[in-house]
Amino acid sequence: MIDLRFYEIWREQIFVEKLINGIGTSILLMILGGIIGFIFGLALATARGSKIRFLSVPSATFIESVRNTPLIVQLFFVCFGLPMIFEYRWPFFASALLALCLNFSAYYAEIIRAGFDNVEYGQSEAARALGLGKNDILTYIVLPQALAKVYPSLVSQFVFLFLTTGIISEVGVEDLTWAGRYIADRNFRDFEVFIVLTIAYALLSVMFRGVLTATGHLVFPWYKET
Amino acid sequence: MIEFLSTLISPFHAKMLAVLLSATQWTVYLSLTAFIGGGLIGLIFTLLRITPINWVRKLAVAYIWTFQSVPLLMLLFLTGLGIPTFYQVNVPPWMAATVSLTLFTSAYMSEVWRGALQSIHVGQWEAGRALGLGFVKNLRYVITPQALKIATPPTVGFMVQVIKGTSLAYIIDFNDLMRWGKKIGNSQIDGAEPFIVFPLVALIYFLLCFPLTLLSRRLEQSLNIDSNKLMLTINKGG
Amino acid sequence: METCVNLTDLNKWFGDFQVLDSINLTISTGEKLVICGPSGSGKSTLIRCVNALEPFQSGAVNVCGISVEKNGSNATDIQRRVGMVFQQFNLFPHLSVLKNCTLAPCRVLGLSDNEAESKAMHYLERVRIPEQASKYPADLSGGQQQRVAIARALTMEPELMLFDEPTSALDPEVVTEVLDTMVDLAETGMTMICVTHEMGFAKQVADRVVFMDEGKIIEIATPEKFFSEPTHERTQFFLSRVLG
Repeated sequence: MIDLRFYEIWREQIFVEKLINGIGTSILLMILGGIIGFIFGLALATARGSKIRFLSVPSATFIESVRNTPLIVQLFFVCFGLPMIFEYRWPFFASALLALCLNFSAYYAEIIRAGFDNVEYGQSEAARALGLGKNDILTYIVLPQALAKVYPSLVSQFVFLFLTTGIISEVGVEDLTWAGRYIADRNFRDFEVFIVLTIAYALLSVMFRGVLTATGHLVFPWYKET
Repeated sequence: MIEFLSTLISPFHAKMLAVLLSATQWTVYLSLTAFIGGGLIGLIFTLLRITPINWVRKLAVAYIWTFQSVPLLMLLFLTGLGIPTFYQVNVPPWMAATVSLTLFTSAYMSEVWRGALQSIHVGQWEAGRALGLGFVKNLRYVITPQALKIATPPTVGFMVQVIKGTSLAYIIDFNDLMRWGKKIGNSQIDGAEPFIVFPLVALIYFLLCFPLTLLSRRLEQSLNIDSNKLMLTINKGG
Repeated sequence: METCVNLTDLNKWFGDFQVLDSINLTISTGEKLVICGPSGSGKSTLIRCVNALEPFQSGAVNVCGISVEKNGSNATDIQRRVGMVFQQFNLFPHLSVLKNCTLAPCRVLGLSDNEAESKAMHYLERVRIPEQASKYPADLSGGQQQRVAIARALTMEPELMLFDEPTSALDPEVVTEVLDTMVDLAETGMTMICVTHEMGFAKQVADRVVFMDEGKIIEIATPEKFFSEPTHERTQFFLSRVLG
């Protein structure tokens, strides 16, 4: 009948090691990808909203291209295609990180841009009336308020993107999914392994959401949901 | 058709393009099936989610949370590799992929529609009740038309996610665009380098997804414009 | 008397709709001017042209000796010399009261943090809420927020203060505290242009009252003459509706 054998996973120490390393790699990639992706997304959002066509058109093209193509295609291109064109060799982790940063940045850019658009007009009016210049208005007035407003969306997007990253195991990164397949290939208990992986991903996404939401309260203590 | 393409580009690339385009039809079939199936199941769960019966609602919440917290890749592995190995049955890739994507879609669609229903001002319900409409008639004539309008842009937008989601199905040997793209791109044949094949594959996905993105945006805009017009009309009369 | 603001044949259109029609107005330094009129008469647009928040199509605007460019290219030069208080306060919610006041002096005038803070505290005392300096706008009442807005504008030490219906969004109980603050300010000799419906304030403080309708200046007079013997029919009609 149902003969689940989970112990076949923790029985071997090397299996457990690979799992833990895999979790660490997945988390590290998400943290790095999230931060760098966010910074780049911020730059993209600013460029996208700029009146200078030299900035707005390429950024819009980039954002739409990334958002309308699957991550796996972007991964394959960045990890296998780019090194061939430009003749370099990077470790798998680095290439995957690059692909993830580019991918995340496009999604974040759209969210941040919506945030910019939703800051009350009166705020920039008051700032102008005080004599503040455009750059100062963006940096000190619009940006903090835009980010505070879209922070929950950014968190949701982050968690959603996290759930899509399992596929980086296909380009040689030894993440959680890779560890699972390593184990399944050796103990043939695919079902049990993937159940464990599923629970692990679910727990990690809950953890990420919790940590990020708490961070939001620290960074934006003044923000009141209207 | 291969002959026609061969006049534009080299015969080799023409053949490659034909293979990819032919494989794309499986991507499209899978996307449509998952979208329609997932949509119907999602609708059921939307209604279950708002029912006043406590245990039914909790079950719906659990279902939705589960399939929103489980990576699509894991669903594919479980249905495409896990179950066959465990139960010693043969599960064809298309079946595993369809089930995975349908369940995945149903959870997200259900939330979109719940959001649309709940975003309708409670005053609309009250107005309907005050006019003497029962719960069902109220739902049918007052609420649903408005909910459909609000729900359509994000629903169309999610179709893009479904199409992108199908790209993972290659991992359980589903022979769609991605599978063939990977086969050709990772082969060591000259003329089929990764930096040629994968951008081409990306382009095909883009051509499938981008029109939907634009449609979703246009729907959203027309919805907003209607709301503005409505407000102007109301204000003028008042 | 020195001229602070000079508007010559000012015209502005929003698309095909003319918002300001041949506005001619001279305001002397130290003068308190009140502008009133029905909704849509162009009062807010007028003062927004004075501090270059709105561009205009024809005519000349001269503020504090600077000629305002139609397209707004020297807007910041004007804006650092002219203060404005808005109907919706527009305080920066993510900054404390003190920081609201010191941001512009630091970034625009180049003051050090200490200089800006002592100036800000001075003006916060003037509007009688120095104890709220470390609070955030969301913690304050409407009347308090508007007084902070006044202090914020004053910390830039402008030559001219503009008020765009400063009490219209306030609960009746707190309107007085803001009007009192504005009366205090008037007594220090500040040049003020106020768009307001508060006729009591106009009678008490204004040197002249302007009535606008449909983008034109219909009547300008001293408060005594304006309220007792308005010459134009439309002015009379407006006053009868407002004063009841």
